[in-house]
Amino acid sequence: MELLGVLLALAGMDAAAGLALLPYVPRVAPGAMPGKVTATTFVLERPRCIFDPFANASDAVWLAVAFADASAAFKNPTSSAEVPPYEGLPTARAYMTLQMAAAAYGCSAPGAAVLRVGGDTACHGRAPCNGPLPSPGPYRVKFLLMGCGGPKAETKWSDPILLRRARSLSTIDPTPARRSSTAVVIAAILASLGAALAMAVLGAVGTQLCVPLCRRGLGAHLPYRTHHVPPALPHTLPPACVCGCTPRPPGPCPTK
Amino acid sequence: MKIGKARKNISCFGSAELMRERGKNCLPALYLSLHEGLKMAKTDNGIRICQGLLILGNVVIGMCGIALTAECIFFVSDPHGLYPLLEATENNDIYAAAWIGIFVGFALLALSILGIVGVMKSSKTLLLVYIILMLITYAFEMASCITAATHRDFLTPNLFLKQMLERYMKSDTDNNNDKQMTEGVTKTWDNLMLQNQCCGVHGPLDWQEYTSAFRMTHNDADYPWPHNCCVMNTRSEPINLDGCKLGVPGFYNSNGCYDAISGPLNRQAWGVAWFGFAILCWTFCVLLGTMFYWSRIAY
Repeated sequence: MELLGVLLALAGMDAAAGLALLPYVPRVAPGAMPGKVTATTFVLERPRCIFDPFANASDAVWLAVAFADASAAFKNPTSSAEVPPYEGLPTARAYMTLQMAAAAYGCSAPGAAVLRVGGDTACHGRAPCNGPLPSPGPYRVKFLLMGCGGPKAETKWSDPILLRRARSLSTIDPTPARRSSTAVVIAAILASLGAALAMAVLGAVGTQLCVPLCRRGLGAHLPYRTHHVPPALPHTLPPACVCGCTPRPPGPCPTK
Repeated sequence: MKIGKARKNISCFGSAELMRERGKNCLPALYLSLHEGLKMAKTDNGIRICQGLLILGNVVIGMCGIALTAECIFFVSDPHGLYPLLEATENNDIYAAAWIGIFVGFALLALSILGIVGVMKSSKTLLLVYIILMLITYAFEMASCITAATHRDFLTPNLFLKQMLERYMKSDTDNNNDKQMTEGVTKTWDNLMLQNQCCGVHGPLDWQEYTSAFRMTHNDADYPWPHNCCVMNTRSEPINLDGCKLGVPGFYNSNGCYDAISGPLNRQAWGVAWFGFAILCWTFCVLLGTMFYWSRIAY
């Protein structure tokens, strides 16, 4: 009996608030897109059909974005005038953006299958502003269906979404890991060839210069061609004449 | 064997006149002179072969010199427009190696002609000049090869990544030199990304993972990466800018430009280094042969 009373009281509270909690959990778009989470934006999957049972033609769907640690304390605004603005994010730690007609979330609604949060850099002070997120977060989001009399339905809070944080480029180390072996091989072979050539030149020039010097110095026996003239054969030669004497004609031998 | 300029000394004991005087007593002398003549004929052939080989070697050196000059002129002309990237890294030694290669090629051609003339005339002076000048050319070509081979190792992806992040679209330049290098890098990267349909060094996420000079002037929401990474239509506009910003396949270029950079630079470095190495090995053999020939020439 008491339990029934408590349940009735709770149902009554809900009915008074008129807020339906949808089981849908917003999430980052599942496709393979490198730009779905950047340093200041992120991309959500667009939910379809979930607001149709609750939405009228004049209702609008808002996206509530809050820091992950402030999502529990977030209070739904009671009317469109009390929607926390984008500029209040640092202080209120939450804001609401992406106001779109409920028909945009219909089952057969045309348009992209994703919603980009933070993609509008040209809205300044104009509410609602889908401006870039100022810090990496993490953030949690939920969809809120607002009618003329206040919020009518909401989804669950998403899991924390952490944005990219860029590393400083001074952490890039451009030095090569190690010297490639090809360069070492080329350098070694060329250096040895060059040294061999230099020594060969020095040796060749040195022997050419040294040969005449060394021959004189050491008296080395070097083979060289001799122009050998053999002694003349004995021919009839006139007798040697000494002191201008005249040759005697052969005469008879003197008798004893 | 001794290589004489004119082959006068062909008789056994000396001049031919004495041989005539000998007359009949010179039968052993005749035999010896024939033997010497045969030996001379064989060494004559040896001389001819040696000369022929050296001339052939020098012809090959001359042709390789022309080829080296042509190859290095091709590299220096920078057909891929990558020189500003190397200039900005202050590591453009592979271009210096190519410049040296041009002059070495000309020198090799001239010296090979000198060598051919020297071998044909068997001139000791000409060949000495040839050897000395060839050694100097050899030293320069060695420097060029080793430079090209070792500096190629410095061209890592991180080098280009860091330079791209530091200089691409940098707005606050310190001095004129800095401004020139920045403009060179920006223009080169724009051309690279448009012509090769690539983005960044590894991919578009280079712009997301690291801070950059580009990020200082272009906010992250509108420019997660440069718009040159988007697929362009014929009027050089992105076909779908929102799709490009999100990274939807088909609207942006997902591959990195490193292959488009390293391919030509590697070909240049290895072309100069390996071809020069081959020329030097051949020149080494020809020079050794020339020195041997030179040391055997009688004055």
